[in-house]
Amino acid sequence: MRQRGRMIRLIALGTGLAVVIAACGSGKKAPSTSASAKSGATASVVMGTTDRVVALDPAGSYDLGSWTPIYNIYQLLLKIPPGGNTPVPDAATCAWQNPSNPVVYMCTMKAGQKFSNGDPVTAQDAAYSFQRIVTIKASNGPSSLLSSMKSVTASGNTVTFTLTAPNAVWPYVLTTGAGALVDQKVFPADKLLPDSQVIGSGPYKLAKYVPNQLAEFLPNPNYGGDDKLSNKEFIIRYEQNADTLVSDVSSGAINVAYRDMSPTQIKSLQGKSGVQIVYGHGTEIRYLNFNYNVMPGSNTAQKSAIRQAIAYLINRQDIATNVYNNTVKPLYSMIPQGLAGHTDSFKQMYGASPNPAKAKAALQAAGVQTPLAITLWYNTNHYGEASADEYTEIQRQLGASGLFKVTLQSAEWSTYNVAITKDEYGIGQLGWFPDYPNADDYTAPFYIDCSAATPNFPNNHYCNPAMEKLIAQEEATTDQAKRNAIFAQIQTIAAQDPVYIPVWQGGQVAAVGSNVTGVPSTFDPSYTFRFWLIGKK
Amino acid sequence: MSSSTGSLRRYLVTRLALVIPMVLLLLTFVFGLMRVAPGNPIQAALGGHLSPAQLHVRMHAAGYDKPVVVQYGEYLRQVFTGNFGTTITDSRPVSQIITQNGAATLELTVAALFVALLVGVPLGMLAGRMRDSWVDVSARSFGIVVYAAPVFFLGFLARLVFSTYLGWLPSSSQASVLVQADLIPHSNILILDAMIDGKWGDLPDLVRHLTLPAITLGLLLAGVFVRLIRVNVIQTLRADYIEAARARGVRESRVVVRHAFRNALVPVITVVGLQVALLLSGAVLTEATFNWPGIGNELVFYLNSRDYTAVQGIITVFALVVVAVSLLIDIANAWIDPRIRYS
Repeated sequence: MRQRGRMIRLIALGTGLAVVIAACGSGKKAPSTSASAKSGATASVVMGTTDRVVALDPAGSYDLGSWTPIYNIYQLLLKIPPGGNTPVPDAATCAWQNPSNPVVYMCTMKAGQKFSNGDPVTAQDAAYSFQRIVTIKASNGPSSLLSSMKSVTASGNTVTFTLTAPNAVWPYVLTTGAGALVDQKVFPADKLLPDSQVIGSGPYKLAKYVPNQLAEFLPNPNYGGDDKLSNKEFIIRYEQNADTLVSDVSSGAINVAYRDMSPTQIKSLQGKSGVQIVYGHGTEIRYLNFNYNVMPGSNTAQKSAIRQAIAYLINRQDIATNVYNNTVKPLYSMIPQGLAGHTDSFKQMYGASPNPAKAKAALQAAGVQTPLAITLWYNTNHYGEASADEYTEIQRQLGASGLFKVTLQSAEWSTYNVAITKDEYGIGQLGWFPDYPNADDYTAPFYIDCSAATPNFPNNHYCNPAMEKLIAQEEATTDQAKRNAIFAQIQTIAAQDPVYIPVWQGGQVAAVGSNVTGVPSTFDPSYTFRFWLIGKK
Repeated sequence: MSSSTGSLRRYLVTRLALVIPMVLLLLTFVFGLMRVAPGNPIQAALGGHLSPAQLHVRMHAAGYDKPVVVQYGEYLRQVFTGNFGTTITDSRPVSQIITQNGAATLELTVAALFVALLVGVPLGMLAGRMRDSWVDVSARSFGIVVYAAPVFFLGFLARLVFSTYLGWLPSSSQASVLVQADLIPHSNILILDAMIDGKWGDLPDLVRHLTLPAITLGLLLAGVFVRLIRVNVIQTLRADYIEAARARGVRESRVVVRHAFRNALVPVITVVGLQVALLLSGAVLTEATFNWPGIGNELVFYLNSRDYTAVQGIITVFALVVVAVSLLIDIANAWIDPRIRYS
């Protein structure tokens, strides 16, 4: 009985304590808890995101969620400057040994660069950084980005890359997360370093990391680069879903909500007090993929006509407006706007608005019976919540012409991405997120498919030797004017007999507190989110 | 050694022996289920970006193309040596997920249990004592509604009312960002960590973040308690010894509080244990609703990523917790009631 009385008292005491503590905190935020309470050049900035970190060791990650902190912790040999899309020196100055034959690339390290632990950044560290990525070959690592690297050596303060074949886009590879420089005294040669132990020579050092919850970055006292910091502390909060991202930026719990809010969520934040929506240039694309083996059509001519007819009928502007509230732009080439070499080849060939008459003519010329029953596949969870609406809109557009009878089918990503490469989907949705801002990244992975050993990534059985030759030519020249001319030819061929139909190009968007500055400056085709540019008024 | 001690020992040995096939069956089931589901972590992460050939090289290196039997053997060997492996998706040791995120789940479930007892026990007693009155009807209705309503629905409703409309409580996470950045993880139970370091100023923030998830999950269990305790109180109030107490002239309030309520509470101990599984499954949904960084939240993510290693590790831990609690309850019951040992 006495024990029971003690128990009741204990419960009552605990309840009372909890109520008192909650009451103390209710209605007001503790000064230390309000991210928005601090302002000025010495402010702390808190960013929320639904991206996840795969690894903070550059050898273990090949995703934007990891590369965002990596770009801020580590230096690269070359980097993409804010607003730009061409590499400039970061920790080194680089040049081709022979620009007319881009096979050997040499980088000279800048003097005075140090890791956050005080170790100098050397050419040996740089060579080590690349070599260990190839050695470790982590499951989720970027080793495939370095597949054209034959060898990397260091001599004095010079790093020399020898490539397996001429590759003019190699400098762009160096600007990716795969090019992050690590300290060979800290990072093991044959395995990944635990996330909490990583150090680099970039503007920030990792101060605290709780996986999938929080990462805190403080200025690197030994940073020897050019970038000036607009804040004294940058914190990332990892959110499970975009709903919490929206509520947290609305309440001021976070200052920046970045990736990945739906168009509806963005719209709900527009006009909200204390929140501004910031748009920026992006080069993420969505397109329709056609599998040559299993798409409708009884012969090559019919299949080609069906693809052309669909290209005539899709109204990209309606998709951008009705489905995405104009947060995306119509795309008329696989190479997005903003990249050197882009042309609106699909607009030139099929027009900016639907043309049912030409679509009908193309189908009739090939002897395709209309209305033709086709199945469109889309994915339910990988390309955003609006995918279902997007494909319903496409179904409506194609059906309205009377030429197609469209059935929609969908699958969850784990099923979808396997099935689409195994000849199970004739026509399906796909998307592409760039490795680096160069037109080559939007052509080589898609149009090189003639060798059975190296199919393109959708494995759609496309093969055009002329296209492969052109891609080899653009990769072999460093003359941008020549490359642009080649890309123009590539895009024309791609539109004439489309294996992909580009639909839209995504922009970058963030919801930020009204006193937050610098986000528009970091939005560019490289998708480098530069913490140092973000400050508060 | 007395015969009762010996029989208890035999009982314990038998129960412990049964745990092994139970866990083995469960491990096999989880392993099979993950392999039946399409895709693997590498395809989920890099599919749509790498060619099938490049994906195959990575899957081969990770051993995903080995015969399932070989993978099963490796999996069992790992589990029985206490090594749950490292996740493919984000290179985290599963043991780290269990200690770090498991601590957040423990914090939530303990708080939820507290809420359940606080709400369920008094309401159940009142309902039983005032049978068929409006209090009873209200308490029963409340119990049915909170038990039947999906926990995520209650969670969204609570977020909408107390966070979005009224702005009283935070809608997500375990702590405000700057508070969490300030805390040094000792136990990974943030309230405890704040106390250990004497950061009392952080406690209001932590309690405010805990309030909505704990109430949401706690109400689920409170619904069970209300109904159970009500029935027990009604039955106890009909018992002979209660009548005898009344006949002796004991005051009615004393009869109810000291005799009826006390005995009606005994089955709750068993039920609390049995509800651990309900709490854990509820925690998965509650954590997802409130972005609570618990082990359930991680499970959802790893399931979507088809991360075999992580899912197998987390479910194994869930299972072991449920099995351990069930075992403890059996032992407690056997200790209290000798008939159980012999049956």
